[in-house]
Amino acid sequence: MLLSSLLLIPFLGTAVLLLWPGEQPLGRLRLVTIAILLVQLVASLVITVQFDPSIAGMQLQEFHSWLPGIGLDYSLGIDGLSLPLVLINAALTLVSAIITRDIDRRPRIYFAMLLLISGAVNGAFIADNLLLFFLFYELELIPLWLLISVWGGANKAYAATKFLIFTAISGMLILGAFLGLALLTGSVDFSLTPVLSDRLAMGGQIVLLLAILLGFGIKIPLVPLHNWLPDAHTQAATPVSVLLAGVLLKLGTYGLLRFGLQLFPEAWAELAPGLAIWAAISVLYGSLAAIAQTDMKRMVAFSSVGHMGYVLLAAAANTPISLLGAVFQMVAHGLISALLFLLVGIVYRKTGTRDLKVLHGLLSPEKGLPLTGTLMILAVMASAGLPGMAGFISEFLVFRGSIAAFPVATLLSMVGSGLTAVYFLLLVNRAFFGRLSITPNSDDPIKDARLDVQLAPVAPRETYPAIALAAAIVALGLLPFGLSYLSETSITALAMQSMGVS
Amino acid sequence: MPVIPAELVHSNPGLDTEQIIAKLLGGETLLSDTPDHLIEVVDVLESYGEVLDAYSKNLIYQGEHQFLNPFPIFKYLDGDLSPAKIWRHLNHDRINFEYAEYCMKGMLWHATGGMDAYFDSEAFNENCKAIIAAKRRRDPLLAILHPLFPDFLSELIRNAATTHALGQFWRVMSDLFIDLAKAERAGTVRSIPDVVDFIKQGLVAAAANPIEYGVTIGGQQFWILPPEAKLTFLVDVAVPYVEAVFLRGMPFLGTVSYNAQAQQISPDQATFTYGALYADPLPTMGAGVPPSLLMQDMYRHLPQRLHEWYWERTRGEGDVREKICRSFQKSMFCVTNAAISGTMPHALDTTDPEEQEANRAYAASWAGRLVIGRTDCLAA
Amino acid sequence: MSAALPLPLQLIWLIPIYGFSGMLLSLPWATGWIKRNGPRPAAYLNLLVTLLAVVHGSLVIRSVYDIGPQHVDLAWFQAADLNLRIGFDLSLTNLAALEFVTAMSLICQIYALGYLDKEWSLARFYALIGFFEGAMSGVVLSSNLFMSYFLLEMLTLSTYLLVGFWYAQPLVVTAARDAFLTKRVGDVLLLMGVVALSAFAGSMEFNDLYDWAGNLKGTGALGPVGISLLGLGLIAGPMGKCAQFPMHLWLDEAMEGPNPASILRNSVVVTCGAIVLMKLMPIVQLSPVATDVLLVVGAISAIGGALVSLAQVDLKRAFSYSTTSYLGLVFIAIALQLPGIALLLLFAHGLARALQFMGVGSIIATTNCQDLTELGGIGTRMPATSLAFIIGSAGVVGLLPLGSFWCYGLMVNSLQDSAPGFAVVFLLTNLLTATNSTRVYRSLFLGEPLPKTKRAPEVNWLMALPMVSLSVIVLLLPAMMQRIDPVPGIASFSLPVAVAVSLSGLIGVVIGALVPLDQFWSRSTTPWIRTLQDLLAYDFYTPEIYRRTVVSLVANLAQFTRWVDLNVIKSLADGVGNLSMATANDLKLSVSGKTQSYVLTVLFAIVLLLGVLQIGRGG
Repeated sequence: MLLSSLLLIPFLGTAVLLLWPGEQPLGRLRLVTIAILLVQLVASLVITVQFDPSIAGMQLQEFHSWLPGIGLDYSLGIDGLSLPLVLINAALTLVSAIITRDIDRRPRIYFAMLLLISGAVNGAFIADNLLLFFLFYELELIPLWLLISVWGGANKAYAATKFLIFTAISGMLILGAFLGLALLTGSVDFSLTPVLSDRLAMGGQIVLLLAILLGFGIKIPLVPLHNWLPDAHTQAATPVSVLLAGVLLKLGTYGLLRFGLQLFPEAWAELAPGLAIWAAISVLYGSLAAIAQTDMKRMVAFSSVGHMGYVLLAAAANTPISLLGAVFQMVAHGLISALLFLLVGIVYRKTGTRDLKVLHGLLSPEKGLPLTGTLMILAVMASAGLPGMAGFISEFLVFRGSIAAFPVATLLSMVGSGLTAVYFLLLVNRAFFGRLSITPNSDDPIKDARLDVQLAPVAPRETYPAIALAAAIVALGLLPFGLSYLSETSITALAMQSMGVS
Repeated sequence: MPVIPAELVHSNPGLDTEQIIAKLLGGETLLSDTPDHLIEVVDVLESYGEVLDAYSKNLIYQGEHQFLNPFPIFKYLDGDLSPAKIWRHLNHDRINFEYAEYCMKGMLWHATGGMDAYFDSEAFNENCKAIIAAKRRRDPLLAILHPLFPDFLSELIRNAATTHALGQFWRVMSDLFIDLAKAERAGTVRSIPDVVDFIKQGLVAAAANPIEYGVTIGGQQFWILPPEAKLTFLVDVAVPYVEAVFLRGMPFLGTVSYNAQAQQISPDQATFTYGALYADPLPTMGAGVPPSLLMQDMYRHLPQRLHEWYWERTRGEGDVREKICRSFQKSMFCVTNAAISGTMPHALDTTDPEEQEANRAYAASWAGRLVIGRTDCLAA
Repeated sequence: MSAALPLPLQLIWLIPIYGFSGMLLSLPWATGWIKRNGPRPAAYLNLLVTLLAVVHGSLVIRSVYDIGPQHVDLAWFQAADLNLRIGFDLSLTNLAALEFVTAMSLICQIYALGYLDKEWSLARFYALIGFFEGAMSGVVLSSNLFMSYFLLEMLTLSTYLLVGFWYAQPLVVTAARDAFLTKRVGDVLLLMGVVALSAFAGSMEFNDLYDWAGNLKGTGALGPVGISLLGLGLIAGPMGKCAQFPMHLWLDEAMEGPNPASILRNSVVVTCGAIVLMKLMPIVQLSPVATDVLLVVGAISAIGGALVSLAQVDLKRAFSYSTTSYLGLVFIAIALQLPGIALLLLFAHGLARALQFMGVGSIIATTNCQDLTELGGIGTRMPATSLAFIIGSAGVVGLLPLGSFWCYGLMVNSLQDSAPGFAVVFLLTNLLTATNSTRVYRSLFLGEPLPKTKRAPEVNWLMALPMVSLSVIVLLLPAMMQRIDPVPGIASFSLPVAVAVSLSGLIGVVIGALVPLDQFWSRSTTPWIRTLQDLLAYDFYTPEIYRRTVVSLVANLAQFTRWVDLNVIKSLADGVGNLSMATANDLKLSVSGKTQSYVLTVLFAIVLLLGVLQIGRGG
């Protein structure tokens, strides 16, 4: 029942919000949502306590036959790979709900969709059946599309449609792979049993794996399948961006590990060198593209493209250390990108712009956003992999685990890590250093130097979630053994499993 | 191009040279006369008066009791070494006397006016010699250092003299500003012209006050700024103070690069425009902006009425010190205004064309300097 | 394992914590949480914890003196074959370096109380200094490469934040960025080396790495290219930290930061970088290429830095380039396997350079100016500053029997037969440094007062006292060097060597005394001299070279990527999108539609899917 609670709580919450009679004010809906998400967080923590880190495989399993005819079972389980992601989901959805303060329409639907996404994501992470995973994977799509297309920015229709099309293709590819598996092997075993040569010839494995890779590659996203992401981010509201970057992209990397690496270990080993190169390209491309951005949010979005590439690199290398690094990177990226988007959201709300060409001097103590600026410096440094914060240990594990297998790809990815510092330093130095201003320079420098800027103050409550995320980033950076304690056994088993076969 | 909400940025038009001359010659105040301005100027000057009171007492204490003390550890305690006072000092629950010293250093460094001229005189030199001789008899370290660094002690004596003189100057200004607040409460000052006139009367009344400074070493009295030097309040201290602090100022490390190759700072101090009338209030309380100390001190002595007035505006308490800085700049324009009209060569209502011409030339010389100042703060 | 150790050694992990805790203790003031009271308590708290670090360090030294070098470590992170530990190597040299770091930090913090007396952001400054000190004291004690790297990067971060302290100043904006990025380039290369070593050698402990390197020589594994790359990666980090050509640019720009931080940067921070290099040297020496690069970089930095410093009109920069030059000498010493002398040179240079910079700071504080052409004639008025400057300069130059003289003597003595070329580099650097110090001295202290130095009283006691104390330490340094001496006797060189060193210093002083100062280094009318002057004044146009190479490469690649993203990938995506949009329009999936229709669509899709599956199953 424990794992089912991860589904019941958010889905019941969705139902409660949708069926709640009468017109409800935003504040009340928000509080109810926060309460439900707190319960979900508590449930996730209870599961963490119940979780036995020394067991390698799925645990706390639940099984109910559902549609045995098509191989769809209600089969849940959790291991060291999915548990951290469930926790991140609980935490970041809560953050998203907390930072939702000023939506202008249909708050009921908004919060219901938020809960629905969180439940679907939970379901995807704990599904122990391919089709069940797919159902949840698709279930998360529509509410997110709504969140972008209804509560998004000026160009939301374009972004939302693009998101929908890309993700729909992603879903088709994944479903195609799963169905193909059934067709090619001639059985409807949709459990997570590795597909080895004795069941399916290598050619078939590779075709299926490629479909999986493309499908999840869109979601992660990997270059050149990333085009939907910057648009989605720039049009989405801040809480949605937090959720999208912090949680939903992890579905892609999780799928990659679970349904690529774990399901097709032999084919994976075949393709691994290519994947490593793909990872390096993705990292470099994302970083270089980020350098050229002037919209803060687009810059952060491209940095996501770059940083998710590390996970692919780690998965390609497929060593215990690198896979542990992948888990760390997923968690670290979840926290860091959530923080970055949150802070960019604060800047946007106060100044009305995210344009690095016009924003200057936001650190100004009395008139600017000094605390936001301070947290932003922390966040970008964490993202650039500065030690003492979550990004460093993750990147170190990824690189350390991958360098022996793919030295060139690893070194190139490290260059990407260096480039992260470039664009984020550009961001911080442009937007936060110098004299406070939020308008483009006119022809008259004296007039510019006298322009007074009246920004609304950032209330302390607006920064509490950011402070909490920052604290989590530092805590994970200084005390990483907690996470490795949870994940190491499962991850090692995952790496060993494929080592055994290859 | 992004769309910036118009209400977030704001700029006032400044005054041009002709407008300034017209105002000065027409007896109009530079700062426009509005009820809000009256509150801002009177109240901020009241808090400034209270701060200046503390500055003045401390500078005079330093001049008289910390003279040539190599380790003036307790120089800010005004001689009160009670544990409570020391604790408040350690906890930085105190006036930032560092800013008073900063202004003093500015005056000394810019080296203008009658007192500075006296520093280079033979009479001053003789006084220094006597003081140094007395000091060397008691202090072996100074006895060794003086022959090696012959100007060391006389430079420190100039420093002490400036400290004391600034203390005397601020004594007068402090009383004047607090009296202004009383007058406004009593209803005798009701407008910005009244304020300017009040300050002008105060300055004129104190103009001829003597500035004197002497120290006692081993029971023996020595003059540093003797009565014979005939240094007076207005010409020898107030004017160089205005020159050094209101107009020239010193470049802030937090906003201007000292890098010699970048050449951001003029080699000619006379062309400096870093003073209070030119300063940008926006970076107040930022790093490397020394007047932040003054704003903090005034914040701690803010009259209730002005504090409430601030609460209703912009970020309320959040940017209160920046607003103090803006109000302070306005009030400094009023003080400058009073000083200019007090030193006008002839009466404004003169009908003698030559006198009119002299007045106009005087006003024009000021307008030339003020026009590049922050006159944008003067509009209603 | 540590049960038998004395308490100060058991608690050795506290040493970096002192500095870091100073940062945390400053937060209430630095964040503006305490609004009515000023920020000074943060400074006092930092002074207190730094004092604790100094005292703790000396207790540890006493214990180690009695019981010999110790190694203390704690587990930090372990997974699979990776074992990352917090390790402290308590040798006397490391501890001497620790005392150097903490004592310098203490002196600088007192000095900063005076220098930054009118600074409202004082708490933030002290928080950063605390962070800085914590990282540095960890680096010098670290017994493993991982921890060294970890802390070196923290040093990079704190350098960025300290240079960026006056963030509203326009040149600071670029200076902080460049300081961070230059160091970051070195750090990323070093990280490559660290990661590779961790993967190939397994352990990260320096001692294990030395063993691994020793075995590697025999086996020839990794190949010459691999070893060269590894060596180059490892030296890149220290090169960045020590501001060596071509990664020296940041030190110049970092002079935009507050002077107390400049004092630390020019003395202890560069020393930390060199100490890490020293610890890495047994691995680096596997690669002749890396060793040669060290020598070449060191020699270029030594001579080039000294030449460039001669042409600077900015007071701080005249000496920051000299720092680059001296660290070049240290690099040569390390590369030639003379770590003992390198260490002595680091201490001698670090203390004397710090003193010089303190003098520089008090001149800036008094005159509001750091342009040599606008300064002059303050020698008769500022005794503490003059003495600090003279003693500091004398401590850097090999002429009087202060710290550097003995180091020069030892170096030249060691090199005169094996590598006479480098002996010449040392002597030439000494000559140029002496010239530079003398010409700066003349323009600052001699001559008639100029407008900006007309009134120049001595600085307040909080600045004067640290200067005088450090002057005494610099004067006594040879005696201390004799005591901690890692080489047999600091005077173990021949008379001719001593004469050569003194002579090179003397010639430098004479040249510096004779070179014309009026209209200071104004551009000459002779074309080739003018070209040379500009070349040196603008640091061999290094910033321009960077701009045209690395910066433009990255910028162009970024623009190219952006172009590809907009014109290739986006077009493709939109093409796919348009195709699908047609379908979507048919389904009336426009945004203005009703929510119910979306839900219906989803349900429809799911039902369809299940149906397909059922059919697939049936078929």
